[in-house]
This record gives sequence, C-alpha cells and structure tokens, in this order.
Amino acid sequence: MMELNLHRADYIQVGVTSPRSMRLLPEKKAKAAQRVAVADQTGVLQCFNMKKREPVSAFKTLPGPKINRLELGGALGMIPDKIFITSGSEVKGFTKKGKQFLGFDTNLTESIKTMWVSGSHLFLGGNYIFNHYVDCKDENYYLCSDRINDIVCLPLGRVKEVTPVLACQDRVLRVLDASNLLYEVEVAGPPQTLCLFADEGGEDGEEVLYGTSDGKIGLVQLGRSAPNHKWEIPNEKRSGGVLCLDNYDITADGIADLLVGRDDGLVEVYGYDESDEPVLRFSQTLSESISSIQGGTVATPGYDEVVACTYAGWIQGLSTEPPLKEAGPGDKVKVSQDTQNKISSLKAELEGLQRRVIQEREKYHYSAMNTKAISAVPYFNINDRFSLNRDDASYTLSIEVQVAIDNVLLQSDVPIDLLDVDKNSAVVSYSACDTENGNFLLATYRCQANTTRLELKVRSIEGQYGTLQAYITPRLQPKTCQVRQYKIKPLSLHQRTHVLDDTRPMNTLKLSGQFSLAEIHSWVCFCLPEIPERTPPGDSINFHFLSTFLDTQLDCLYRKGEGIFRSDNISTVSILKDVLTKEATKRKINLNISYELQDDSIPDTLRRLHPKLEYQLLLAKKVQLIDALKELQIHEGDLEFMSPEYRQILSDAGTLQAEYKKQPCHLERLYGMITDLFIDKFKFKGSNVKTKVPQLLEVLDNYELQNLIDFFNSAGS
Amino acid sequence: MLVPIFTLKLNHKINPRMVTLGKYDGKHPNLTAATTAGKVFVHNPHTRMANASGRAIEASVDSDVSLLSINQQVSAVCAGSLDSLGVNDVLMVGTQTNLLAYDVQNNTDVFYKDAPDGVNAIAVGQLGDIETPLAIIGGNCSLQGYDSEGNDLFWTVTGDNVCSLVLCDVTNDGDKELIVGSEDFDIRVFRKDEIISEMTETEAITALCSMANNRFGYALANGTVGVYENNSRYWRIKSKNQAVSIHSFDLNGDGVPELITGWSNGKVDARSDRTGEVIFKDNLSSSVAGIVEGDYRMDGHSELICCSVEGEVRGYLPASQEQKGNLMDTNVEQETIRELSQRKQNLLLELKNYEENAKAGQAERPSGMGELDKAQMGIIPANTQLQTSLTVNPGDANKPPHVELSVSTTNDTIVRSVLIFAEGIFEGESHVVHPSVQNLSNCLKVQVVPPKDVPVDLHIKAFVGGKSSNQYHVFELTRQLPRFSMYLPCPDDTPEPKSSVAFTVNERVQRVLMWINQNFLLNEDITCKGDLNIGFISLRGSGPVFINMQANGQVTIKTDDLDLAGDLIQAIANFLGIEDLQVTADFPMHMEELKNVLHKVDEFHSVRQKLTAEMADHSNLIRSLVVRAEDARLMGDMRNMRRGYMELFDLNRDLINGYKIRCTNHQELLNCLKLVNQTIQKAGQLRVGKFKTQVVSSCREAIKTNNISALFKIIKTGAS
Repeated sequence: MMELNLHRADYIQVGVTSPRSMRLLPEKKAKAAQRVAVADQTGVLQCFNMKKREPVSAFKTLPGPKINRLELGGALGMIPDKIFITSGSEVKGFTKKGKQFLGFDTNLTESIKTMWVSGSHLFLGGNYIFNHYVDCKDENYYLCSDRINDIVCLPLGRVKEVTPVLACQDRVLRVLDASNLLYEVEVAGPPQTLCLFADEGGEDGEEVLYGTSDGKIGLVQLGRSAPNHKWEIPNEKRSGGVLCLDNYDITADGIADLLVGRDDGLVEVYGYDESDEPVLRFSQTLSESISSIQGGTVATPGYDEVVACTYAGWIQGLSTEPPLKEAGPGDKVKVSQDTQNKISSLKAELEGLQRRVIQEREKYHYSAMNTKAISAVPYFNINDRFSLNRDDASYTLSIEVQVAIDNVLLQSDVPIDLLDVDKNSAVVSYSACDTENGNFLLATYRCQANTTRLELKVRSIEGQYGTLQAYITPRLQPKTCQVRQYKIKPLSLHQRTHVLDDTRPMNTLKLSGQFSLAEIHSWVCFCLPEIPERTPPGDSINFHFLSTFLDTQLDCLYRKGEGIFRSDNISTVSILKDVLTKEATKRKINLNISYELQDDSIPDTLRRLHPKLEYQLLLAKKVQLIDALKELQIHEGDLEFMSPEYRQILSDAGTLQAEYKKQPCHLERLYGMITDLFIDKFKFKGSNVKTKVPQLLEVLDNYELQNLIDFFNSAGS
Repeated sequence: MLVPIFTLKLNHKINPRMVTLGKYDGKHPNLTAATTAGKVFVHNPHTRMANASGRAIEASVDSDVSLLSINQQVSAVCAGSLDSLGVNDVLMVGTQTNLLAYDVQNNTDVFYKDAPDGVNAIAVGQLGDIETPLAIIGGNCSLQGYDSEGNDLFWTVTGDNVCSLVLCDVTNDGDKELIVGSEDFDIRVFRKDEIISEMTETEAITALCSMANNRFGYALANGTVGVYENNSRYWRIKSKNQAVSIHSFDLNGDGVPELITGWSNGKVDARSDRTGEVIFKDNLSSSVAGIVEGDYRMDGHSELICCSVEGEVRGYLPASQEQKGNLMDTNVEQETIRELSQRKQNLLLELKNYEENAKAGQAERPSGMGELDKAQMGIIPANTQLQTSLTVNPGDANKPPHVELSVSTTNDTIVRSVLIFAEGIFEGESHVVHPSVQNLSNCLKVQVVPPKDVPVDLHIKAFVGGKSSNQYHVFELTRQLPRFSMYLPCPDDTPEPKSSVAFTVNERVQRVLMWINQNFLLNEDITCKGDLNIGFISLRGSGPVFINMQANGQVTIKTDDLDLAGDLIQAIANFLGIEDLQVTADFPMHMEELKNVLHKVDEFHSVRQKLTAEMADHSNLIRSLVVRAEDARLMGDMRNMRRGYMELFDLNRDLINGYKIRCTNHQELLNCLKLVNQTIQKAGQLRVGKFKTQVVSSCREAIKTNNISALFKIIKTGAS
C-alpha cells in the first residue's frame, strides 16, 4: 500500500469558527483550483482562492452576528455552488460571486444550530426543534427530546421519500418521515456530526457516517424499515471527539477515503480494505481543534489536498504536492522571493499595528487617572468541553482559546483527582487547600508558550457533588480571566443508555408528593448527566442509565406527583434518595419516600463485579512480581527452572505494565465502591456498620467471591 | 529530519543517571551502566567485530554484554583515566559504603576504598593544579578525591548531600573547577578546596554538565533545565517532566555544543546553549536513563548515545552539511509566517479590546453600572489600583507565625482570588487563595512561610471584579521578600543567647544599618546614632539574635543558631564587599553536641566491627550445617535432615536480624557523620574567603588525627 505523504501549508486566518463553516466551492473541471468559502463568529463570510500561494479574496461580507453553519446548495441536478449561512434565526444565501439572493427569517424561537440544504428543501435544527421548509414554506416540524447536534437528509434524487436524519445528544440517530419519527438508531456515543457516505450516500443512498464526541466513527445504513450497522472505528488511542467528516479520494485509488477532523487537532485519513473496512492511512496533529474538513484542490491545480479549518480560524491545506526545496549555496536555506516579500509585508503591517496598539495602550493607562472612566474588556472566546469517558470512568476537560493561554486556575468544592494527560505540557502545581473556604482542589496550570489548548482528566467520586471552576487567563492585554463552571453531579459516572436488562433484581425507590413534572425533571437533571435541561414532551419520562465504572443500571420513570427509580446497585438508590430529599426540602415540598430492597440484588451486583475485581487483583499481583522476576532472570540467565506462569508474566511484562498504568487506582476505586455498597446496604436496614469496614477490607485482601457474599450477608447481624 | 544511526536493545534495565562510556582497552568505547540486582554491565560489541574477519556473523546482543557483580546497591558509575598519560580508562563504581576502581581489561581491582559518607556522584578528571587526575566522589556533605593508587589528595565539605558533580573551567583561567550540586538547592563552585561562588536554585540539583565557553548546564528535581555563565543564569526552562540526564554535544554541526536533555517521559531534546530554543527532539519508549558520547561505531565520528531505563540505546551523528542546522523537518518560512500572523492576530485582538472598552466607556455613565450583564463582564472603575503590603505576623493559637501579604483594591471592587508564583517557598511553584463567595471582599490576606532565609520574588496575580462577575481583570505585579523576613524586632527584656560570634569590619555603622533595613522585613526603617544594638526574634523558633556594632567596627552577633550566624556573616560580607574575614566563634552548645556525636561515631564503629565478626561466624556455621543436612538427606536419614534444616532456618533468621541491626546501625552512623560534616561546613560558613578554606582543611586534619580538642579550638578561633 502506498504511503500517504501530505505537506502542510497555511493559507489565511479568519475569526473564530463554528464547526462546519468552511466549504470548497465546486469547479466544473476536475482538479481545477477551487475557491474556499468560510464564515466565522464575527459574522464575516468570505470567499477566496489561492494564486501563487497568495490568497486572493473574491468577496467578503461585513461583520454581523455570529455565523453557526455554512452549507452549499443549488437546484437539484445542478452543481451546488450557492452558499447558505445561518446566524440567529436567519438563513442567508449568496451566489459564488457574493451576491445575496436569499434572506429568510424563520422566526424560530431557538437560534439555528444546524442546517442541511438540498435543492429547494431546507432543513434547520435549533437546540430541540427541527423544521423542514420547501421553498421557504414551513412543511414539517418535529420536537426532539434531546439536543440536536446535526442534520442530514438522505439524497433526494436517490431516495424516494424525504428522509431527514437527526443526530441527538442522547446517543441516537432519529430518522424522520415528514413530521413523525420513523425509528431511532442507538450509536456508540453522542453523535456530533453526520455525513453522507461516499458518493451521495453509498449504493442505495441510505448510508450515513457519524462521528461521536467521544471519538468514535461509524457507518450505518438507514433503510426505510430498519437500520443496519456497517462498521465502527473504536477510539483506542483516546483521541479527541469527531467534529467533522468528509469523503474524498486523496489516495487516488478510485475509492473515496474518509477524512476526519477531531477536537484535539488530529486530522486523519482512512482508506478502505478489500472488505470495505476502514484502515488508517494518515494522521497529523494541528495544534487547534479542527472545525471543518474537506478534500479538494486549492493551492495548485492538479494536486489533491485536505483542507482543514481550525477553531481559531486558520485555514490550512495538507497537500499531496511535494514541497519545493531550493538548495542554494551557503549555509542558509534559501527563502523564495515570494515568501520573502510576504514576510516583509507582514512585518511592516505588524509594525504599524504595534504603533497603534502602543498608542491605545497609553490611552487606556491614561484613563486610569480619570475617576469617572471605566475599564470594560470584552469577553474572549472559549471553546470548552467537559465529558465523561466510558473507558476509564473519568471526565475529560478540554479548554481552547483563540490566543495562547497563560495560566488556568482550577478550583473545586468537591474532592476530585486530577490525572496527568500526556498531550498536555503545562506545568501543574497544587496549592494547599482550606476546606473551610470550600476549596477541595486548588491547582494552577502554567502553560508553555503558544499553547492554545489544554486538556486534562478529572476523576470524580459518586455521591460527592458540586462545581469545578476554571479561571482561564490568556496572554492578551489588558489581562483578564474568565470563569467557567462545570457541574460534578451526584451520579457523575452514569451514562445514558437505551437498553435495560430486565433480568437483574432491582431495588426500587418510590417518591410521591405535590410536585410537577418539570420539578422532578429538574431534580433528576441535577443528579444525572446527559439529560436535557428542558423537560421533554409527554406526560411521563423514562430514562435508562448505565454506570460506566460498575456496569450497574438505573431506570428512572417519573411523572407529575410520582417518581420510580430502580437500580441493581443499592448505593445508586441511596445517593438518589439523599439528593432528591435534599432538593425537595430546599423547595419545601413534602415527599413520601418508600423503597423496596431486593436482598438478592447485592450478591448479583457482587457477581457482576467479580470478573473486574478478579482481573484487577491478578493484574496487580502480576505487576508486583515483574521486577523480582526480572532480577532473577539477570541472575540466572536461564529461565527453564521457572513455572510457565512466571515465564508468561516475564514475556508479557510490557503489556501488563501498560495495562496497569492505563487505569491508575482502579483497584482502590473498586474497593471504595464495594465499601459504599456495604455501608449503604446496612444503612437502609437502619444500622451503621462503619466499624466493620476494616474487616471488609481484610476480606477483600484475601478475595474470594463466596466469602465476600457471605460477609455481606452475615455482617451487621 | 535527524534520525538515529543505530538502535540497540540491550535487554537489561538501566538505572537512571548511572550510565558511562569507557575505553578500557584504550581504544574501543564500551557502554557501561548499572542495572538491577547490584550489577554493572559492560557492553562491548567491538571484540566480536574484530573476530568476525570480514564475514557477517549472527549477532546476538546478549553475548556482547558482560556483567560485573557488585553485590550491593550501586549508586554511581563513572569511567575515566586516573593515569596522567590517560590511555586506559578505569571504571569507578560507587555504592552507599564503598568506592571501587576496577580495571575491566585485566579484570582486577585498582583500589577499593571505604566511603563512609556514601558515593552519590563521581567525576573523574584534573582538578585545579593537582598534578594527577582524580576520581572525585560526592557523598553526605563531603567531597573526596582519590588518585590512581587510592590516596586521597583532596577533601572538603559542602552544605548537604551531594547530588551531582562536574569538572568545568568556569573562571576561564585554564584550570578546571569543581561544580557541586546538592540537596539544599545550592550550586557551589570549588577552586580546589576553596568555594569561589555559590548559587541558590529552587530545588535539589540532580544533574550538571560542562559546556563550551565557561558555561555549564544544570537540571533540577522539579523539571527545570538551564545554563549558567559566570555565576549568573543564562536561561532556563521548566517542564512538567523531570530531566534525568543532561549532556553537551554539538548536534547541529555549528561548532557550538547544545544542551542535550533526557527526560523522564522518554523525550530527548537538544537546546541551543544561548537561547534554550529547541532545535531537535526525539522520543524513546521509556524514561531516559543516561546520555553519553563516543565513537561507538569506530569510524572516527563521535555519536551522541541515549539510553533508556528499559535498555534501549540510540546513537545520533551530528547533522551533516545538507541539513544546515535544520533538524526538525520544519518549514522555516511557514513557521515564520505563522508566527507573524499569530502576532498580528494578537495585536488586532488587543486593539479590539481597547476599542470595545472605549465604546463601553462612552455608552454609559458610571452611575449606570450594576446591571446584571455589566456586572458579569467584570467592569471596574479605570482608576482601580491594587495595593500590596508585607508584614511579619507572629501568629497565634490557630495560625503559625508567618509573613502576611495583604492584597487590596482601592475601591469596592472585590479580589476574587490571588495566585502567587514563587519558587522554593511553596510545595509546588504556586500558591492560591480562593475565598468562598460569602467571604469575598476588597482585601485578601495571604500567609507566606519561607522555609529558608533567601530573598524571593513573589509574582502576584490578582483577579479583580464584581461579586457575581464571570470575567475578572488580572492585576500582575512582583514583590520581593527580603532575605531575613521571618524575624521580628524582639522586646527589650529578651534574655541574651549564650553563643556568639565576633569580628571586626572596616566600615561605618550606617552601612551595616542600611544592610539591616534592606534585608529584614521592618515596619519602619531603623535609625541609630553611635553604637548599633538591635535584637530580632526568629519566628522559626531558633530563638533571638542580637546584632551589635561599635563605632570602631567591632561586630558581635549573638545567636544560638549556627546556621543563622553563618548566613548573616555571608550576607553582610557580600554586601560590604569583604573578601576575607576571620571571626571568633563561641558556640558552647554546638560544641557539646559535636562531642556527643563524635563519641557516638566511635560507638557505632565498634558495634559494626562486632556485628561483622558475628556474621562471619554465622556463615561458617551455615556452611557446615548445609553439608550435614545434605549428607543426612543422601543417607536417607530424614530425622537428622529435618533437624539440620530447622537449625539452618533459625540461623538464617538470626542472620537477617543481625543484618537489620547492622542496617540501622549504619544509618545512624551515616547521620552522625553527616552532622559532623555539616558542623565543619557551618564553621567554615562563619568565615569568608581564605579563612573559610583554612578552617575546613584544618578541621579535616584534626578529625584524621582524632584530635578533638584541636577541632574545637579551630572552630572557635579559625586556626589550631
């Protein structure tokens, strides 16, 4: 297989961009240089092409409200070269010459987040509302129960019925028929972006690619009656979430490859093998998150390239064109004349700017003498995300700013652990905490020069809830810092799911009282992540959850005046009971609480934990032995005398250690959860068994499943 | 892009910082490193090549490695020539108790020395004008140099455990000085046994290396790496990883060596010695253990050789002419343009900030402030100022004594949080004060407790805004904490300490007074006419200190703290520009303690000898027991065999117990010896210049000859 070599070139920088707001305009001739249309959050839409490595602007609109999405469209069967942008509740259309031909105010109550254009059909999505317009006339409407992240419509020319597909935050793709739901497809993570597969949706035009916020990519065929999952790329390297996808034949083998842009700056190219499974062919990290990606030809006609647009507005090409290297005499690399000119003109521009800035700076400082003057610095843009990883039951916090970050102060009013992430090079320093001031964590991250993105991992403990605050200071004068708050919820390690295993014995917690649906929804929302803040439509609401750490489940079913919560994990029920009561009391609402405990739920949960615990114990033991065995190996040279088991450990030493390192403190966390389970079981029975915890730990240290179950049964009596 | 020219997997772990390269036969360089289980391995791929007679043979890396058993935890290895002709290298292996000089070629010991202070670091080479090369070892507060016969020609003490050593000509006088990094964060430069300069860093100095142009590189335990020139820092950088090994090597072929750093995460980078800019980096799969250089392929070119703890070895040749110093495969033009555009963007954003600010200023009157949106934006009056003050707080029942930094605004804006970045006085590099929402006000008090008497720069960042803001203005300023900040003027009736140190300076009283005003944290400057007489009380609990100076230049410092007396004298001498200073020191309490310690040292020595004899007895017994038990087994006499092994088991337990006693005994001994060394060092610290060196060397003589009374006299008067 040919190795793919792509060379990076920077084209232009615009303002901060929203995801999917850059497209290449199609050209009639294959491999002719294309124009780039890009819209940014300052409201500017511009279109440029590259001439002799210099950007030449075709048109540029005036600044306005922030633009959320840019799509291309045109009459069916024609080349889609009309540019559509959305900002607020408005949709505007421009020709490729920059003439506005459409200004359509939808009067939607929510601002438009996503858009899909196909012929005279316009599909728009707000936070929860989906609207379908034909020739700007309202046709269909659908209210979604969770946030809409993206919309596509199966190609109208190939699929008979108009079939819009919504990617929703609750891990499903919703396939619609007019104003009704056709069916839901559960996918691997919260889908962030959608894209029609290959050439207009694959063989039957029904195949859709999705990328999730936890970094997975999948292909699903959405038939009229039932979906069919084709393949899925897991996220083993724990790369960032997928923000944009595109199909383009960059490897020139006749099959369109998959281009992926991620929020940690990774650009990937996947090819397909004989069985149509995706294979990674190329990857490169750009320093900022990739908001849009597309394959095409921009810099030089005849050379394919991957064009990416980053959060801070850099438009960059990864071109198949080999870089020009001029070797001149002498020690210096000869800089080409064009670049030289470019650099000097930039320098001149900078000098001018510098002078103006110094003037303004003086003016600003001078205003400090004036007693009436104020200092008001506008907000800077922050692109942040706080999301749960299923693999290691921890949260990832990523913070990205348009300019370099100077430092970030993290403060938390609940005990949490910060884990080191290889990607981040900032120097962390923990400060002593004064718990009487509500500080359980005070840490500063001092960033290296030119760091615009910071990623870190946070491990929370279920039952302990509060807020994590980040004070972000960028290197920008006048210096300001912005606070961002992230909620650590009581059941922080739970994740939404759509299937429930009914065979497990479940403990039930029943609430009843004078509360409205909205009230109880807000309490549940307070307790659990991944729930829409807005009360979903309907009289009763049902959510299923899975604990990412223990794989136990939780079923929430509630309506006005009543709530039923069922879980096989008694600790989950206990936490819910405590928090819900507290919330209700805060609002002075009387609650009737009753619970029904299944005694066999405890052994069942322990049995469910058994393989994890056993595996971890064994792993810990093996890792402990490695060093000693290695020493023996050096001493003896010959390993024949060792038992096969030990020899196995020695030969697997590397993988064992890597595995152990990947999940630090896993065993301690398991122990902690089992201890909670133990305490909670007896708490419901009205007895306090905290004094018996050391005994429990002893049982755990000499772990055997039956002994543990017996201990749970016998203790307390 | 520079790529390694060879890669080896040695299948042996390598202990961090214990890698060296020696030409034991005078010709072929051999990579030598300490590995687990108290062994040192020597990798010698060259003899095989010689035997191969031109034909390729199946190469197995294992057969090139020979192992030396040291049977003790190895703490340092170094290869170098002790011969003034310098043909064959000798391998020096240090453990916590011994130094072994070993001739690898002939498989013989050159010498084997007891090193009661332990061997933490070894450097081999010419020191000052001493004729033969020395193997200099650094242990617990002591430095010792041996020649090729094992005679110690050099001895001195230093402030704390030595972590790193290097020989380098810092003063550009043609002779090499010894640079010593120790656990008390100090880098000291010795010209023979005289300290010519001392630099205080912010963490233990884990590595040092000599560079071109009288510079040297250093690395600290907190991830800092930097370069010094002429006692002043040229540059430094800090990473979240730790630098394991540093080395000076000209990788880009420009004739000036770069600082090569091997990091704990496996990264290797080369930085320009002038700017600290990274010119090359590569990644090993595990932590770097050591970096050396040598002509490992025997083709006349010296390579940079990096080893990881897992035994991975990579060699790099300096860049060739075609690469023109560009080792990173970057596009220089693109990078320049990118950087310029980024700067342009930053300036534009700053301009926008000012524009928006001006707009906001015109749009509304200050009286209109207070709307929710504006409060959140954190608008503050433009004349808001940040005031800081430093005071000494003697503390109370709830608070330990501390220096109080008070940060306040001049109006009703609040201080949300204060970040202080300072080195060496907090656990990490920063300290944060973040009051809860109820306790917000326009004034914040920060407690600072500097653990040592060093001047510190406090880089303060204060977040100023409104109570419900989610954006704050950041005020940045720097305050210096004077050297002696943890001292309060003491009340008049404080009893005088018993110990004192007296000396005469040729200066006016006012000059010393000025020094006091600058170096102590005082509410108002002290003035005095005639004789100077002031007292301070230490907030760290080491009692009062009185400084007395008469008009004739006679200075007396009364304190029971020997350390403090030394610090005061060094600081005064530095301020007044005194090059040599002799003092009379009277520290009865310290002398008493020293006497006890020396007594204890004798005791520990005798216990050790007794234990060693016992152990030898036991091992004889074991031998006979094993023979007897095995005989019984062969004869089928199971009863006797069992008894034999039972006895053996008991004996073994005794041995282990004996060993444990020996260990604790040894530990105690080490502590005592460290105390002795430290006392000598402190006695030296009371003097300046040549008198300092004189005290240290005379003390050493006195200890060698076991002349305790002379020792006391030297400490008191500075000479025997």
